[in-house]
Amino acid sequence: MTSPTGAVAPPAVEVRGLAKHYGAVVALTDVDVTIAAGEYFVLLGPSGGGKTTLLRTIGGFHRPTHGQVLLHGNDVGHLPPDKRPTAMVFQSYALFPHMNVLNNVGYGLKIAGLGKDERREKSAAALTMVGLDGYADRKPHELSGGQQQRVQLARAMVLERDILLLDEPLAALDAQLRKDMCLELKHLQHELGMTFIHVTHNQEEAMTVADRIALIADGELVEVGPAKEVYRAPRRRFTASFVGENNIFEGTVTNVEGAVVSVDVAGTNVAVDPDGQDVAVGAAVSLSIRSELVKLTTRGADIATDPGASLPATYKEAVYLGLTTSHLADIDGGGEVVSRVVEDLDEDVAQGTPVLAYWNREDLRLHTS
Amino acid sequence: MNDYTNPWLHRLKWAYMLLIVVTLMSPVFYVMYISFNANGFGANEYDFTWEWYGLIFSDKLLMGALGWTMTLAVTTTVIGVPMALLAAKFYKRAQNKVLPVFLLLAPLFVAPDILGSALLVFFKNTNIVFVTLGDALGTGIFDGWFDLGFMTALIGLIIYTIPYSFVVILITMGRYNPEQTEAARSCGATAWQAFWDIEFPQIRAGVFSAASFTLILCFNEYTRTSLLKGGFDTFTTVLISQMLNTGMSEQSYAMSAFVSFVAIAIIGGIIITTMLRAEMLARQHREVAEPAAAN
Repeated sequence: MTSPTGAVAPPAVEVRGLAKHYGAVVALTDVDVTIAAGEYFVLLGPSGGGKTTLLRTIGGFHRPTHGQVLLHGNDVGHLPPDKRPTAMVFQSYALFPHMNVLNNVGYGLKIAGLGKDERREKSAAALTMVGLDGYADRKPHELSGGQQQRVQLARAMVLERDILLLDEPLAALDAQLRKDMCLELKHLQHELGMTFIHVTHNQEEAMTVADRIALIADGELVEVGPAKEVYRAPRRRFTASFVGENNIFEGTVTNVEGAVVSVDVAGTNVAVDPDGQDVAVGAAVSLSIRSELVKLTTRGADIATDPGASLPATYKEAVYLGLTTSHLADIDGGGEVVSRVVEDLDEDVAQGTPVLAYWNREDLRLHTS
Repeated sequence: MNDYTNPWLHRLKWAYMLLIVVTLMSPVFYVMYISFNANGFGANEYDFTWEWYGLIFSDKLLMGALGWTMTLAVTTTVIGVPMALLAAKFYKRAQNKVLPVFLLLAPLFVAPDILGSALLVFFKNTNIVFVTLGDALGTGIFDGWFDLGFMTALIGLIIYTIPYSFVVILITMGRYNPEQTEAARSCGATAWQAFWDIEFPQIRAGVFSAASFTLILCFNEYTRTSLLKGGFDTFTTVLISQMLNTGMSEQSYAMSAFVSFVAIAIIGGIIITTMLRAEMLARQHREVAEPAAAN
């Protein structure tokens, strides 16, 4: 980002070589990540992976074992949470139960020394922004979960800090409300132009809101990229297993010839583009392909498939998921393949029928790690 | 008829509780009863009077002892309760909770006469060390710091009451969500502001209960205080001394009854206030069980 004077503005958040250890337990290992100002950035990963630790370290609630946290180019490692330009939204709402909604929202303004009238005015405006007009005099226990979360958002946004940290903000809400709130968060972020850093273990939530996603597991930053890219073309095997519904095949490289790598998967040779990765014959690799890109047909059917882009299998069962149906088949030689389709198969396939799972060759991805 | 509909089971539970309370409180009620008898303890005839209560204030020994006891109790409360509060906060944050809880509750498991004697020896030896140090430095400034007196009795009482305050405060703190403190810090509050604005209002009942409890414990304490007090008398030491030597005076019965009335009133007040508050909160929850708008 370039300022009016032509100078390049530093990123909103820059984390360099960050690690956090709890005795022998390593919560984060040498994490490097840069988040641009105005970006909606999601930390996605399984529970206990270290994403909340990273968020809380950025917010100043944890002191890193080593490494740096820079906010707008300033090292804030020595600063407590109240001295950082961040506000935080907590999973447990963390509203102050002895204060009404208006006072909850206005608490930070009171600390900042604003007068009563100004506090009231700004707090009321923040409540309007989150759709809670008329709730100012209520106590937190008089609100539903979604309303409490909105109060928390208003309390964070009224401070006009430019980085908002959201720690699993929607985890306690039911599915429909979570979807609605996802969209509201996205719209709010767009409206305000703030930097949002949102922690979640829910990939659908992450996909809905994120400009970019960082996958974190076992304390390691696995992969960072735009949401669509992470979904469509994961670089790492873990990403493929965690994001979307991917088929993952384990195999051994049998041949490398230019842009085609042959991999033996359960006795069948499968071709894949290495996409710039160095692989050697004999190396153990993983292949992944999204289940919606796999098709099933009965063997011997008159269908043209790419060479090296199919696996023989035996049909097992169909799982109806509402909008889509997943068809499961056992790969001859071991393993399972899933084909997810919106419409039903052209023909009813009986259990035990020999089938062919096939795909477009360019949809298959190779993972060396 | 089952356990839920049988009224006798319900009555039996209440009768049992009443029996326990009567058993525990009978001696206290008896002292209260005697304190209104114009003929004093052990008399065959009972004539109701307020006379002994009127005489309390003219009994210099009792009033002096009451003054010292009050001063000790208030000072112990002012120092001991904040210390217990800090200890409870430390305990909540501690990774290893076994050691701090052991250290804090240890005074409860040492017999009062052993703890009192140990402190007595400790203070006497410390006093010798300080006096020797003063002599070596050619100053008398350290003389008497640990002579038996108000300060030594105070330290004994603080050691005695802190475990109780700690437990009472910790129970209240158990309901507090520490993320609220983090939320306050995130709003710009310093650690002290977050404590005072957010945490303290929610644990206030526990702190005040601990303070009340400490006051009452100080009035009840005899063994440690009698060993560590030095030259002054407290309420319990006067009563026990009278019992052992001359027998309790009628004013002493009146004073004992008066102190018991006050203690029961304080504890009863706390219980009734807590119950009323719980009922009020439950009523509020019932009233707003269905929020006005969805989500």
